[in-house]
Amino acid sequence: MFKLSLSGRIALHVANLVVIAVILLPIAAVLLGSIQSENIKKFYRAFGNSLIVAVSVTFLTLLFGALSAYTIARLRYRWTLFLLQANIVSRFVPAIVLMIPLYIVMRSLGQINSLSGVILAETGFLLPYAILILAPYFDAIPSELEEAARIDGCTRLRALVHIVLPLATPALAACGVIMFIVSWHELLIPLILNARPDFMTLPVVIASLVGDVFVFFNLMMAICLLALAPTVVLVILLQKYIVEGLAAGAVKG
Amino acid sequence: MNLPTLVFLAAVLAYPVLYAGYLSVHKVGLAQLRRGEFPFNGWENYSRVLEDSLFWVAIKNTLVFTAITVVSEIVLAVAIALLINQTSVWTSRVTRFLILLPYAIPPICNGLIWSFLYSFQFGFLNRILFSAGVIDHPINWAGNPDTALYAVTVPYIWRTLPFAIILVHAALQGIPRELYEQAAIDGANAWHRFRQITWPMLQQIIAIILILRTAFAFAVFEEILAITQGGPGDATWVAAWYSYKITFSPPNNFGMGAASAFILALMIAAIALVYLRAVYRRVQL
Repeated sequence: MFKLSLSGRIALHVANLVVIAVILLPIAAVLLGSIQSENIKKFYRAFGNSLIVAVSVTFLTLLFGALSAYTIARLRYRWTLFLLQANIVSRFVPAIVLMIPLYIVMRSLGQINSLSGVILAETGFLLPYAILILAPYFDAIPSELEEAARIDGCTRLRALVHIVLPLATPALAACGVIMFIVSWHELLIPLILNARPDFMTLPVVIASLVGDVFVFFNLMMAICLLALAPTVVLVILLQKYIVEGLAAGAVKG
Repeated sequence: MNLPTLVFLAAVLAYPVLYAGYLSVHKVGLAQLRRGEFPFNGWENYSRVLEDSLFWVAIKNTLVFTAITVVSEIVLAVAIALLINQTSVWTSRVTRFLILLPYAIPPICNGLIWSFLYSFQFGFLNRILFSAGVIDHPINWAGNPDTALYAVTVPYIWRTLPFAIILVHAALQGIPRELYEQAAIDGANAWHRFRQITWPMLQQIIAIILILRTAFAFAVFEEILAITQGGPGDATWVAAWYSYKITFSPPNNFGMGAASAFILALMIAAIALVYLRAVYRRVQL
């Protein structure tokens, strides 16, 4: 095969996107039509809240998780070992134990009924898992590359940003998609920290409808479709990364 | 570089856990919360929790739930991982592609979908079984105290099984093919190959799954909330549900909730320690 020029590739990409759009058009119409009835519209806000929370949590856990996982993988001191073990133990802390004190702490900080409180709490709760997923990947990256960079006068942080992170893109993808899915699914933390409808995420809205005799199954199923669609799409598209990330977070190390 | 992580670990994990311990030996209700002072009351919360017969029902239900889900998950995970490992069969490849799908379903939606399936009046399950002639009258799967606890294990297993399958499948792919070829030459049949090669090679990963799934099944919450809300009666009250109800529904006894949650945490901590020793013993990374 001959090599395509950049403009040629872009043209082909555009052509592909047009074909894909036309193929998916009727399916998208069915899906969008089914979630556009008046009953469903009031759940758009919850969808938006869920999206804000999940994206922020993914970003924050990746940022802080990468920094910590890197130090655990590279610096072999007693305290990094201890940090790793602390993270492993933290992963087992059940959410219900944290809920009661978190509720009281967040209440006194005035973070009840806000998205920022939920984001902070979920970030802290998921950070250990992110570190456990990322650490084995960082460990597998050969350290000679950054050593060369450090000899050339790079600081550790710059070596991390310019050399390790680009090499670790698959790891970040795996960890990021898992973080997004877990935070999108999280029920207990936002359920307890948010009582006002304006700030509810989708799982909380769904939980609040459970047991309501005036809400019928068909409406419930429509909301569920709204809630499960994003993660189902992610799982189908990024399956390879999720499989790797789940395995890395559980066994390696 | 570890500062943000340490701050988060301290603020969201370590401090709340310690604070939960603090709350569990103090009298904390809505009135105290409004005033902001929590009188010390020693072990009273713990003794009240331990004297509560509902708490012991919840613990018993949690143990039954955990035993059923963990054992069935391990059996199913090994079977299904062996199934999707047969890459020469095209339906196995389809299964492998779809295997992760339950992981994408939010737990609360999963619970709702299953409560729809179980529904007494218009559930699919009753309709299918009725049409097939297995039952002659609809069965109230989640509404009958005898079946409710078993009914909630099925959705939980359905949702969490992909994780176990993926781990077993990854371990299967690490087994050298030569072992099987050699065994086939020596005349070992399929059962012998499984018993003598596959099973020993899977033992470590199965231990990991056993511990992880036990710890997480102990804290099951969403499916209970969506399907039975602890009912009928106390048939599906589990430990996490007990703490939640004691705390966040009237009379809002935060102290007792913290005490019961702390007991649950201690049980899980014991499991976590076993995990740490078993898996990360050579923690060289």
